[in-house]
Amino acid sequence: MKFFFHINLIFLVSILTSKTFAQNQIVADLSQENVKIATDFQGAKILLFGAYDGENGDDIIVIVTGPKGLVTVQKKEKILGVWVNTKKVNYINTPKYLSISSNRKIDDILNKKTQKISEIGLNNLKIRIQPGIKVENEKNWRQALTRNMLKSNLWSINENSVSLNRDSLFRSYLELPSNVITGQFEVKILHYRNSKLVSQQINSINVSKSGISAEIYDIAQSYSTLYGIFAVLLAVLVGWGSNLIFRKV
Amino acid sequence: MYIYLPIAEQPIHSLVILGVGTFLGLIMGLVGVGGGFLLTPIMMFLGIPPPVAVASVANQLVAPSVSGVLSHWKRSNVDFKMGTVLLLGGIVGSSIGVILFNFLGKIGQLDFVIKSSYVIFLTLIGTLMFSESLRLILRTRKGKVTRGKLHQHNWLHGLPFKIRFRKSKLYISILLPILIGVIVGILAALMGIGGGFIIVPAMIYLLGMPTSLVVGTSLFQIIFVAANTTILQASQNQTVDIVLATILLLGSVIGVQVGSRFTNILRGEYLRLILSSIIILVSLKLLIDLVTIPSDLFSVIISR
Repeated sequence: MKFFFHINLIFLVSILTSKTFAQNQIVADLSQENVKIATDFQGAKILLFGAYDGENGDDIIVIVTGPKGLVTVQKKEKILGVWVNTKKVNYINTPKYLSISSNRKIDDILNKKTQKISEIGLNNLKIRIQPGIKVENEKNWRQALTRNMLKSNLWSINENSVSLNRDSLFRSYLELPSNVITGQFEVKILHYRNSKLVSQQINSINVSKSGISAEIYDIAQSYSTLYGIFAVLLAVLVGWGSNLIFRKV
Repeated sequence: MYIYLPIAEQPIHSLVILGVGTFLGLIMGLVGVGGGFLLTPIMMFLGIPPPVAVASVANQLVAPSVSGVLSHWKRSNVDFKMGTVLLLGGIVGSSIGVILFNFLGKIGQLDFVIKSSYVIFLTLIGTLMFSESLRLILRTRKGKVTRGKLHQHNWLHGLPFKIRFRKSKLYISILLPILIGVIVGILAALMGIGGGFIIVPAMIYLLGMPTSLVVGTSLFQIIFVAANTTILQASQNQTVDIVLATILLLGSVIGVQVGSRFTNILRGEYLRLILSSIIILVSLKLLIDLVTIPSDLFSVIISR
């Protein structure tokens, strides 16, 4: 208790006395914090903007991470002349959405080692293979995961997409594709000076289904048999109705 | 106009689905087959996940089948007794099919089984239909229209539990249509089809039913097989996309009405020749997909 009290005290004092803290704050906001997947959803483009206390040559990296969970990689092999899925590897703790944006090439901002430590970059993510699975050529599988996630637009690297203005303003567009998964998205804004982290801020975006499409989804999950019966009855009705209409035509 | 599909979880252009539905309804109305077996692959080509495509197509098949049966019924082209026997088998079969579907999905072989089933059955039926209709056309061209026996008798007609189907002018074992129903039911649930393209030739070539009754009767049994598949897929796998199915079925009921108006005008063998050519092409395309090396050997599945 006493220990924590001391730390708190030191922290408080440093806030009050340090001029640099106030100066190095980064403030950011999003044009949209709640993304609603309604019947007309085709993906979303969100403007991230803010101010930072910068100097010439400062850099900003924005990392958006979606919900994490199970992603399975499958491999096809030729058996009796046809290509069949024969092997699979389960990756747990995998972000189902990830975008890394920056104002210039990340390799120019941070060296490889810092990237690895800060988990910046697609190959530096701490994704684990489900325990108990023995995998040969693990590197190939991991590359396949990255390649396929990039292809589906769920993962992306957007270097040069953060624009900086007079060393004090920044903005960037975050794009969520139409196949995006619902859930909580973390938006981490990192401000670097000479490869050193000066300040950071975390915002969040909530992606959820809304309107009729959300209701249909919920009903299909909770009352699945009734939903099925309703779907059939609707089809019977349309079939029968069309017959009545066409008979008169 | 783009519309977001709640179960498939992606947007798609509604006019594209409507157009595809109408076109396939037309084929269905004309020939009595061809709704599902072309629709399911097209939905997959459009990027709908195979489990959702299969289940939603089963749902949409109910509508044109109902509509089709009603028009055929008016012209007295439905053998309800035969249809009932077939659908009893069909309900058993489609229930087995949904269970199998579930299992294959779990072990990750669903796509492969769906595609290879298509290749095998489409090639078989396509070739059979093609040669048969070509022979008929050539024979009529020569001017020798020979009317043979009503149907061929073979060992299948020697099975027990014989029943008289007055409408179809048949006296055959009940086991045969039930067995056909079961097999078609399994394939229907597994492949996202009504089973028309298998049951129609089976009715003609195995049961020896009169061609005029075949379309109406197959549509009658498809209603029940498709309905059973839809309800089971919805309750077991939650894969029925009612929005996708509704747009498809709106198109297909229009198509099927227009199509069924022309069945008695257009010559059956010409229709079957065209359809069998399409069948053979589709199976060839699927076969090529299976044997050519994929652009990426790896693929990912993102669990929701």
